[in-house]
Amino acid sequence: MVSHGMLRAACVLALIAILSSQEAFADRLDLIQMRGVLIVGVKSDYPPFGMLDANGRLIGFEPDLAAELARRLNVRLQLVAVSSTNRLQKLEEGAIDVVIATLGDTPQRRQIATLIEPNYYASGVAVVAPPNAHLSSWADLRGKKVCATQGAYFNRSMAQRFLLDLQVFNGTRDTKMALRDGRCVAWLYDDTGIVGLLNDPEWTSYETPLPSTMVSPWAMAIAASEHGSELERAISDAIADWHRSGWLIETEQRWGIKSSRFLADTHQLWTQTEPDGGPVCARLASGEWPSECRNKLLLTSTDVSGLQHIGLLIKERTGLNLTIFYDAYDRNLFLAGLWMTLQLMAGCIVGSLILGCLGALVAEGMPWLCGLVRLSAAIGRMTPPLLLIYLIFFGVGHIVVTRYGWTFDGSMIAVLCLSLYTGCAIVYTLLEACALLRNQEPGFALGWRGLPRALRLAYTPVIAALINVVKATGMASAIAVPELISASTAIVAEQGNAAVMMNVLMIAYFLLVMGVVRLFNCLERWMLQHDAR
Amino acid sequence: MTPAEIVHVLVVWTPFLAGGFLWNILISLVAMAIGTVFGAVLARLRLSGRKSLARMGLAVTELTRNIPTFVFLFYLAFLIPVEFKVSDEIYSFPAWLKASLALSVAVVGFVSDNLLVAWQHWRNANHSAALLFVPSWTMYLVIIVMASSTASVIGVGEIVSRCNVVIAAVSGEEMMVWVYIYAIGYFFGLCFPLNWAMGRVKKRLLAHVGGTSAQKCGECER
Repeated sequence: MVSHGMLRAACVLALIAILSSQEAFADRLDLIQMRGVLIVGVKSDYPPFGMLDANGRLIGFEPDLAAELARRLNVRLQLVAVSSTNRLQKLEEGAIDVVIATLGDTPQRRQIATLIEPNYYASGVAVVAPPNAHLSSWADLRGKKVCATQGAYFNRSMAQRFLLDLQVFNGTRDTKMALRDGRCVAWLYDDTGIVGLLNDPEWTSYETPLPSTMVSPWAMAIAASEHGSELERAISDAIADWHRSGWLIETEQRWGIKSSRFLADTHQLWTQTEPDGGPVCARLASGEWPSECRNKLLLTSTDVSGLQHIGLLIKERTGLNLTIFYDAYDRNLFLAGLWMTLQLMAGCIVGSLILGCLGALVAEGMPWLCGLVRLSAAIGRMTPPLLLIYLIFFGVGHIVVTRYGWTFDGSMIAVLCLSLYTGCAIVYTLLEACALLRNQEPGFALGWRGLPRALRLAYTPVIAALINVVKATGMASAIAVPELISASTAIVAEQGNAAVMMNVLMIAYFLLVMGVVRLFNCLERWMLQHDAR
Repeated sequence: MTPAEIVHVLVVWTPFLAGGFLWNILISLVAMAIGTVFGAVLARLRLSGRKSLARMGLAVTELTRNIPTFVFLFYLAFLIPVEFKVSDEIYSFPAWLKASLALSVAVVGFVSDNLLVAWQHWRNANHSAALLFVPSWTMYLVIIVMASSTASVIGVGEIVSRCNVVIAAVSGEEMMVWVYIYAIGYFFGLCFPLNWAMGRVKKRLLAHVGGTSAQKCGECER
């Protein structure tokens, strides 16, 4: 009887102890250390990030991270296979301590779990293309047929950002066949998934010619209730150390993964130092990492201050993502583009005038060359400038590089070609003005002294031609000159803010053209006043 | 590569490239059609007795003059959705039509200005001078045909983008120059005779009018 009572009391005591111990483990780190085991959920079907070996053990890039984490916490490791659908649920139930399972860092997921910064890896979108596909930038795929698999989260945004003509197929097998049969020039794919695909012997000749885009960082996750806990801090410190030491890059190499830009960039960022020698990415007094070391895509206006705070506030309230105002990188890209466009405009105006005047002078001054000049001017006027740019930049440029080893500067070629086209039109109008002047005074001949008079007479058409060439400077973007259009499309590709950027681009160009028109109007007024005096 | 081989490659790809050039012509004609309709409306507004309408017509014309078509091409390419749904039917908006729309903006300004002058001449029974609009319009078509090559940057399968397809397919680096020159030949072959013929027509008409030629030519260059 007594023993029965004691047993009951012991049970109650044990229950109290367990309950109170639950209370005592306010921090999961204590529980982990007490039990001596860290339970981590990883993928089993995503080689080489998480997969099963011949003995059915979980191995891969992410299990390696889990093992290193357990070693740092001085506990044993237990791996549990999780899937994309149950990974966060198991975390919430408490069945696992940490999720390291290709989990993309998104605002929605931050609502239901604690996602740990810094991010430890990132996936992006890349293309698989047959050999010799001649793809050097994403812009080469504009308007091209590109295969994609139904349901991939990036299909829609990729089509919008890069103007792709997407051919969506039902499954991986169908998409593979479509690419092999040449029904599209490339296949849009998650770059971390490509690794497994290209190991297939049939696919070894295929390549991934373009850098990954739409980069989505991956985060390790712990339960939502663990926000701000010791566990979060411990894992966060571990990842920060791995970035600093380059251990993640080594691990990536060990698993034969094509080295990711994200790890290289993050390594560089986390090893940067302030002028006083301290690291840039050091914890602030609040315990947070500085905003420049955090996931830029997920910062909210409360995380930052200054211009960035205002910019993010506008984005949160109105949806307008004005990155060129609050993001230093985008701002510099845009300003550099603006500066390049201004240079192109000035270069084209000067170049067109010089070529036009020289052509007219030669035609008038050397009668035996007149026919030749007229013929070349006619050809020049009837050649689309874009085609001329391609011919000289790629065609002639290639021959010159292989024969003489000289490379051309794209912006110089754009200025030259556009000036040629416009110069030819100016030759015509000048020659017509000369004919008219000869009607008035039979002895008129175009020389250095007669040139200003001819230019005055042909002022309106010459200015119209110059304004046209100013408007056409954007063509330089076709050969990747980093001017305004190139800068804007690059920002759209990164941020997906096509509506904002295209309006900004349009307004900027509109104002530039208006400025040039104003300038010429002022010049005309000044000349008229000069004449009156 | 021997000249015979180069010619052979060009001949083999001629149907493909010529088909591309037909697209250039189609894009240009559609752009001219859209631009002429809207330009005519603007010219009509500018000629209407009401001051407010005339001012509006002029303001819109000036707006179109300042819009760079090449930038507008990107604007439309990014901002007009590829497909849109109207009561359960999905309609697609082809890229070539976006190119036509972008180019038509330049045509609007041109037609508005030139038709205004032509209309005034017609009202004054100065019919030959009014008819100058026809050669000017055709010469502007030539300019638009050349500008239609820019549609390649948004992926329209016209002659320039087909050149790039050919170059990738034959993968001969020295072929590149010849393919581009061959394409330039297409533009020259269409535009030069057309321009020359219109120049003749213009001279004839001007002889009728007996007016100054410099002023007229100022307009045709726009």
